[in-house]
Amino acid sequence: MGKSASTLPAMVLTLLIITAVAGTSLGFIYKLTQTPIAEAAVLKQQEAIRMVVPEFDNDPASEMYELTSEEGFTLKVFPAKKDGQCIAAAIESVSNRGFGGEVKIMVGLQPNGTIIDYQILEHKETPGLGTKMVDWFKPVAAGAEEKSRNAFFDKLFGIKAAEGDGGENGQSILGKNPGQINMTVKQDGGDVDAITAATITSRAFLHAVAVAYTTFTHNTDCESGATKIEEAPTREGAEQ
Amino acid sequence: MNQWKNFSKGFFKENAVFTLLLGMCPTLGVTSSAINGLGMGLATTFVLIMANLVVSLVKDFIPDKVRIPAFIVIIATFVTIVEMVMQAYVPALFDALGLFIPLIVVNCVVLGRAEAFASKNNVGSSIIDGAGMGLGFTMALVMLGSIRELLGSGFLFGLPVYPEEYGMLVFVLAPGAFIALGYLIAIINRFKRA
Amino acid sequence: MNKLIVSPSPHVHSGDSVQKNMYGVLLALVPALAASVWFFGLGALIVTLTSVLACVLFEHLIQKYLLKKPSTIMDGSAAVTGLLLAFNLPTNIPLGLIIIGAAIAIGMGKMSFGGLGQNPFNPALVGRVFLLISFPVQMTSWPVPIAARGAYIDAVTGPTPLSVVKEGLAAGRPFSELTAEIPSYLNLFMGQMGGSAGEVAGVALLLGLGYMLIKKIVTWHIPVAVVGSIAVFTGVLHLSDPQAYASPLFHLLTGGVLLGAFFMATDYASSPMSKRGMLLYGAGIGIITVLIRIYGSYPEGVSFAILIMNAFTPLIDKYIKPKRFGEKPAVQKA
Repeated sequence: MGKSASTLPAMVLTLLIITAVAGTSLGFIYKLTQTPIAEAAVLKQQEAIRMVVPEFDNDPASEMYELTSEEGFTLKVFPAKKDGQCIAAAIESVSNRGFGGEVKIMVGLQPNGTIIDYQILEHKETPGLGTKMVDWFKPVAAGAEEKSRNAFFDKLFGIKAAEGDGGENGQSILGKNPGQINMTVKQDGGDVDAITAATITSRAFLHAVAVAYTTFTHNTDCESGATKIEEAPTREGAEQ
Repeated sequence: MNQWKNFSKGFFKENAVFTLLLGMCPTLGVTSSAINGLGMGLATTFVLIMANLVVSLVKDFIPDKVRIPAFIVIIATFVTIVEMVMQAYVPALFDALGLFIPLIVVNCVVLGRAEAFASKNNVGSSIIDGAGMGLGFTMALVMLGSIRELLGSGFLFGLPVYPEEYGMLVFVLAPGAFIALGYLIAIINRFKRA
Repeated sequence: MNKLIVSPSPHVHSGDSVQKNMYGVLLALVPALAASVWFFGLGALIVTLTSVLACVLFEHLIQKYLLKKPSTIMDGSAAVTGLLLAFNLPTNIPLGLIIIGAAIAIGMGKMSFGGLGQNPFNPALVGRVFLLISFPVQMTSWPVPIAARGAYIDAVTGPTPLSVVKEGLAAGRPFSELTAEIPSYLNLFMGQMGGSAGEVAGVALLLGLGYMLIKKIVTWHIPVAVVGSIAVFTGVLHLSDPQAYASPLFHLLTGGVLLGAFFMATDYASSPMSKRGMLLYGAGIGIITVLIRIYGSYPEGVSFAILIMNAFTPLIDKYIKPKRFGEKPAVQKA
């Protein structure tokens, strides 16, 4: 085994060669994966936009503009148009009040601010509790909860069948306008049912929605970043 | 050395997680589900094989005093490759594993094998060693991930086994990782002694 | 019998035994049990019985079939664990969860470490915290005292005073306004509030502590240190801003402070041996409890605080050594 001696030139040269080879190959791989990575990111964004607004025929990503909320968050607004008519906007909103830090959501609003749908983009909430926000604030799909229920085990574990059925009891926020209802959890005197045992996460989520709503309806029309002349009808929420 | 023994030692006798207790950070951090464990394990396996391969190839040219920095650069290169490829082609898994992918660089298993095995053995044995250790690591992570996923949320590899509400949430969270790992090691030690 | 037995000192046996102490603790818990049955009725009975039976059964099964040693259930320690576990659960908790809790408390908290005297953590609290983290919904619905007497699972539930105050203060409402929504201090002391089965009645717990002190089952150090440090810490906060922080009396009478300080922090195996160590340990529990209650996300933190300080016990014992039997205090040199 002819091991190289640990002389200074040998050491420098070896490390130089290794780092050079490593750098070159990484550059090569980077070039190779650059496009797919960008495509994956775009696809993910597209997917999230598609989930929260009705069908559109423009390219929301290219017409995206940014708004600054009162708290200083930068929100991305993706206008969705059909036949040149603005039908909705997908807004990337954020709240810093989550249990584990930031909660990032994509919420679709009609031009008058009514919530169409939402998606959770990023969060660090507690698994099994805060993570329920993914579909907690949506109406329950009929029959989804019926499968594989066992009355004996439900009783043994204290699981109430009534739990998790939205819509009726004020859990769902879809189709509601934050200007008309109080978009805070019932514990804070609002109209929305908080996630069981995850009130903080619920607050953060509703905060993010409220930020999107107030920023969107106060500052702009749907088309561009231009300031709206008439004020949108709001009841509260500006300071939420 | 018997190559089969060389390969199989990574699963039981010298299993990185259960016997050597190396690489605890990803072991405890990403095993909240079996799929995450599998993804992390395979990513580490790839890095292990490639790092072992390259280290055993260049071992004769590297002066002793700079061998650790040299190994780290080699390992980091492969980790970055894994990271970029994952981000491009399996973004969902990349999102789930997050920070733990770059942390493979400092996974003791990888550097440990480069230092203890690949720098002293030929290319063929090094690759087999890397594969054995890596797959043993993967096996441990999948076992831990399956237990935590099953007990914590009632799923196994993302398939529902029993309704989620019966799951013991603690197993999805960090304390559950320690508890499950502790009992797994205890059980394995028990069989080893027998 | 003319064999001479030589053994090291001490040669005088005080007549103390594990069994005697454990049955003493059980007796000391009777007033709290009575209070719990008075306030929560049927639910308290079901939960307590299930928990004690399950703990004793699990200990028996593990000793006999897993460890293959003679059963140790007659020393009473499993029954104490079961009773304390029940006292830490809401009285409308479903049976399945009690059994899981008992299995965790005995199996994970006690037998995994080698059984009686070897457990680094209080087994009942291990079971309780495991359940709290795993099933937060079921573990945080509290039956309303007296009104819930006749019911078990379907008992009427309401918030605990601690959560009322915590959420109220978080929403920016002054403490003086919130006191109207919680029971009076006298009612808090008598135990008429929502909470875990055995933690509500301060008066009953005090009776139990008195009994244990008289019978020399525990010393005063840990309970006084816990209660004292909570009183001082919350007192300072309360004085600094009486509207933003609840009063010390409120903090002492609500939640599991008294139950924890008297019966769980004093567990022999998981608390320090020396008097000074006990004081330090108790003060640590008090401070962590207040930190969790005021700055944490849970309204109650006694069980977490005790478990955290349990983990420090070996460290405390290492640095604050108990005095050896017959050892003279070191003479300070000038």
